[in-house]
Amino acid sequence: MNTKPILLAALAAASLSLTATAADMRIWTNAQGRQVNASFVRLDGDAIILRTADATEHRFPLAVLSAEDQAFAKTAKPEAAPTVTANMPATEAAKIVDGLVLNGIKRSAEERTKAGRPVLTGFNPLASDEQFVRRVYLDIAGRIPNYEETATFLKNADRTKRSKLIDMLLESEGAKTHLYNYFAEMLRVKDDFEQDNVRGTPYIGWLKQQIAMNRPWNEMVYEMATATGKMWDKKPDGSYNGAAGYLLRDSGMPLDNLANTLTVFLGTDVACAQCHDHPFADWTQRQFYEMAAFFGATTTRLGGRDFKNGDRGKVLMEEIEKIVAANPSLDMRRLRNGLENYIGANRAAVKDRGENTLKLPHDYKYKDGTPGELVAPKFVTWSESDTENPAYKHNDQDSIRVRFAKWMTHPENPRFAMTIANRLWKRAFGAGVNEPVTNIDDPESSVNPELLKHLGSEMVRVKFNLKEFMRIVYNTRAYQSEVTADNLPMGEKYYFQGPMLRRMSAEQAWDSYMTLVLGKPDTYKAPLQDLYAKSIDLNLDTVDAQTVLIKYDAYRKMAEKERALMGGGLDMVGEDMMMQNKASRSTKKQDPEAAMDGPGKILSYEGLRLMRASELPQPAPGGHFLTDFGQSTRNLIDGGSKVGNVPQVLMMMNGKAQKMLTSSDSLVFRNMEAVRDPYERVERMFLTIMNRRPNMSEKDIAKRVLAQGDDGYSNMIWALINTREFMFIQ
Amino acid sequence: MKSELLRLNDASRRQFMLDTAKTALGVTLLPGLSSKMAAAEQVASRSGPGTPGFGKAKRVIYLWMGGGMTHIDTFDPKEGATKGFSDAVRAKGDNIVSLGGYLPKLAANADKLSIIRSMSSKTGVHESGTYIMKTGYEPRGTIVHPAMGAWASHFLGRIKDKTLPDSVVVNSGSSYPGAGFFPPATSPIPISNPETGLQNIEPTASDVQFKKRVSLMNEFDTGFRKKFQTDDVKAYTEFYDETLKLMKSEDLKAFDLTQESMETREKYGRNNFGQGCLLARRLVESGVRFVEVQMGGWDMHNTIDNAMTNNGNTLDTAFSALLLDLEAKGLLESTLVILGSEFGRTPDVNENDGRDHYPLAYSTVLAGAGVKGGYAYGSTDKEGRRPADKQTSPQDFLATVGHAMGLPIDEVVMSPSSRPFTVADKGVPVIDIFA
Repeated sequence: MNTKPILLAALAAASLSLTATAADMRIWTNAQGRQVNASFVRLDGDAIILRTADATEHRFPLAVLSAEDQAFAKTAKPEAAPTVTANMPATEAAKIVDGLVLNGIKRSAEERTKAGRPVLTGFNPLASDEQFVRRVYLDIAGRIPNYEETATFLKNADRTKRSKLIDMLLESEGAKTHLYNYFAEMLRVKDDFEQDNVRGTPYIGWLKQQIAMNRPWNEMVYEMATATGKMWDKKPDGSYNGAAGYLLRDSGMPLDNLANTLTVFLGTDVACAQCHDHPFADWTQRQFYEMAAFFGATTTRLGGRDFKNGDRGKVLMEEIEKIVAANPSLDMRRLRNGLENYIGANRAAVKDRGENTLKLPHDYKYKDGTPGELVAPKFVTWSESDTENPAYKHNDQDSIRVRFAKWMTHPENPRFAMTIANRLWKRAFGAGVNEPVTNIDDPESSVNPELLKHLGSEMVRVKFNLKEFMRIVYNTRAYQSEVTADNLPMGEKYYFQGPMLRRMSAEQAWDSYMTLVLGKPDTYKAPLQDLYAKSIDLNLDTVDAQTVLIKYDAYRKMAEKERALMGGGLDMVGEDMMMQNKASRSTKKQDPEAAMDGPGKILSYEGLRLMRASELPQPAPGGHFLTDFGQSTRNLIDGGSKVGNVPQVLMMMNGKAQKMLTSSDSLVFRNMEAVRDPYERVERMFLTIMNRRPNMSEKDIAKRVLAQGDDGYSNMIWALINTREFMFIQ
Repeated sequence: MKSELLRLNDASRRQFMLDTAKTALGVTLLPGLSSKMAAAEQVASRSGPGTPGFGKAKRVIYLWMGGGMTHIDTFDPKEGATKGFSDAVRAKGDNIVSLGGYLPKLAANADKLSIIRSMSSKTGVHESGTYIMKTGYEPRGTIVHPAMGAWASHFLGRIKDKTLPDSVVVNSGSSYPGAGFFPPATSPIPISNPETGLQNIEPTASDVQFKKRVSLMNEFDTGFRKKFQTDDVKAYTEFYDETLKLMKSEDLKAFDLTQESMETREKYGRNNFGQGCLLARRLVESGVRFVEVQMGGWDMHNTIDNAMTNNGNTLDTAFSALLLDLEAKGLLESTLVILGSEFGRTPDVNENDGRDHYPLAYSTVLAGAGVKGGYAYGSTDKEGRRPADKQTSPQDFLATVGHAMGLPIDEVVMSPSSRPFTVADKGVPVIDIFA
């Protein structure tokens, strides 16, 4: 199980090419006169291998071909196998990935036959433009395309329009929020850290910023593992030290945090080794503790010894008490608890204390150690050769935590690149090459080891540039195929003949609703992100009691400020882009700034804030659309759910969101009203909601419905957003 | 790097172990397996119609303490080296002796409780610990196991003459095992906030218009549903059918807490757990079979004394109000109230004045439905580190619940993927706790 990035030479040796262009295609005729249009791949003994336009290879005896074709084949040049080059374009790199997927599909034949499942011959048919545009917006930008975006793509006759759309979407605001949602779920990112007044706000801001900058994954993870200080410390460049939130999220639970770190970043699920040796793997409890020891000198809660003059919390409270006593309008009894929590939040900081103090648990029962014994840090290995791996070399000057971070994020770490590559693959296809993505126990036992290793090495080649990696994945023929229509029982191997049919995530569903409501939902951002960091920060070494009181007051007023920003209704949506309708629609005086970007008013509808899921509380409060739809509570890794339930369906049928869309104020109606003919209106409605044109029978239904009365349009909107077709990504 | 074992599915792994045992050890069965099989035989002789407590629980309320409830500060108080921050209080019910000082009201009602103090499990991880305590199985990547409510629906059928669901889960998060491999319609209805109950039950259009909309939805969706006949898509269609039925139900007021007097609402405590317990009482009163009420905040790694003061009071108030209310309504005899958590917490207090995860010893509680009052089953050693006797697994605990509900816990059910499962994975019910 050598997991070093595979040698490129090995790839070159394999036959992977999909480079057959129209020019290489020719008509082949067999002895009976039957014809096939295909390109020549190579001869293999007495056999000839041809490739048809659907990228499938066919192998048959050379002798069946006409004499003329046989002669042609004998002189023809075998198809050149493409090789990975350092800066090859994503579209070319995608072809190599496709080759490996196809190999896996072919190898599946025996197993499929055994399981009584039909043998796969190649990729699913190419997805239609209508299917593709909806899917790729949902997968990259996290929402359905709006009417204009759909219509523009469908009308475009450019042969390379798909890869151009991918490029455009990867740069979009939507791509950032969608990737943020993914990592927020994976990393269990929350607003409320459940410790005093500690909020994840600066951590969330940091994460969003890193994604916006397309910071390489290895650097992001390195910074999370090594950050020191409070989350709201300001760095020289003016940004916040939010990366500290990664360790502070699990403050007081260093063993859990380590188990999570290994699981999400290294695809190594050793959580059970926290308490005992892993029942089936080679992991021992001792190994787990040896890994945890890298964090054994690190605290996530400051105590007296971590301050210059000891912890001044108690002294400050005494001084505050005196000030309060002198002011008859203040009541210490009502302030004490809040103030203590407020001061306490500033003890939430990451700090290295120098000495590793991690000990084996007091109930340690194995022979390789004794309870309470100090554990020295030591890296785990996945194979014997790992110790020769450059990732395992360390610099004595580095602190133990830095050594860990360097090892973990090293390009040659046996699991780091592969884990994120496998995760992003699953994000596009609905299944990882290795399942579960949290446990790449043995790459060789994954569904397609060759593919898995290649994706890992591609991640290294693009230098952990996630955008670049995704560009390759979304440009594959495999991804651009129709989704698989068969039922796939849980746990059955999947060979990536196309993406799986997936239900929208809670965030995709909400953000798609927001697209239907707002048109361009990315222009609406949560304001005041900074306010928390500014008002919570105290320097406990120097701050005086008076300042604490003033800042505490500002902290408490923060929520009020936020409430004051609420306002703005549906009819304010898209003022800037819907000027032509403004005169007819505006019945009351409006603030034209309301819908503009920046810290303007928050639009809302019956208490629902109209902005993307990433801008709402993390996670959304109980009873919110997002909660009912299965948004992760952010307690478990990848904790979202895509299962239906009664409250969710009730909300779809009777909730505020459907009411908002079926109201004659909604953007769907406004899109329709731009044209007069009822059938064109129906077409616009379908393009807005389903991102496809209605078929013949749907047009007939629409005709019947419209003849029945005025509520026909809103009934159809209601019906469409309640279809399974709307909820599932084709 | 891992042995062959991990790559095999359950069934083949078992076969592999048997084969290995035969060849390598010269025996026909591994010791662990033979004791399991012996246990299975025991189940047959100890559960079933006519055995104590069998089928007495017509309804179950499962109080779930999410995060890992400290056993030493609640239902298994200790003196000496591992004593908590509060002094234990004397419990009514001789056999129980005392409860943690944070639970005075429950201590006064301990004559209604049976406590299993010798619980022990293998996992100190929240996810898998929770999963095992709800399904009796360890989580696997290849199947989702049903929770107890779904098992009951499978064996006892859907509740007749009611449009209400069989199971409800209150204050739940999104990842709940639910129906497992049983039909999605047997999964519990999640209520995320008991104060608001079941929302959106009224259509926003007239009945006539609503009917039109629903049939239009089905018409537009015909092509898609024909092309994609997958389990996921079918499950959604089932949920729509279920929901449409429920919308017409007369029983929906069971979800409405405003029907209760202010006095009653105060008695349970005005917080999500307290009101959730009240909702649970309303639901079982209306015929819902299995209600789980979740309470969080038990993952007390830091300053456990503070945390227990809050959580202890919430639990103490709600749980004792629930017992008294059920008793006053004459429902306690036929309603089993159980309390569980994914694991206990370390007997030793850590440097942050908290306690960490500890699966080796913890407690569960049962009350009502023919369960003995004032009874402690099993015990832990002096410091609460290990069961001292009558070690009880999560499977045994859930088998006890299954037994009380009258489920045939030894009956093998095949999943759609043709794998065999039983209620609580061959756990042995604790018959002793039934009067």
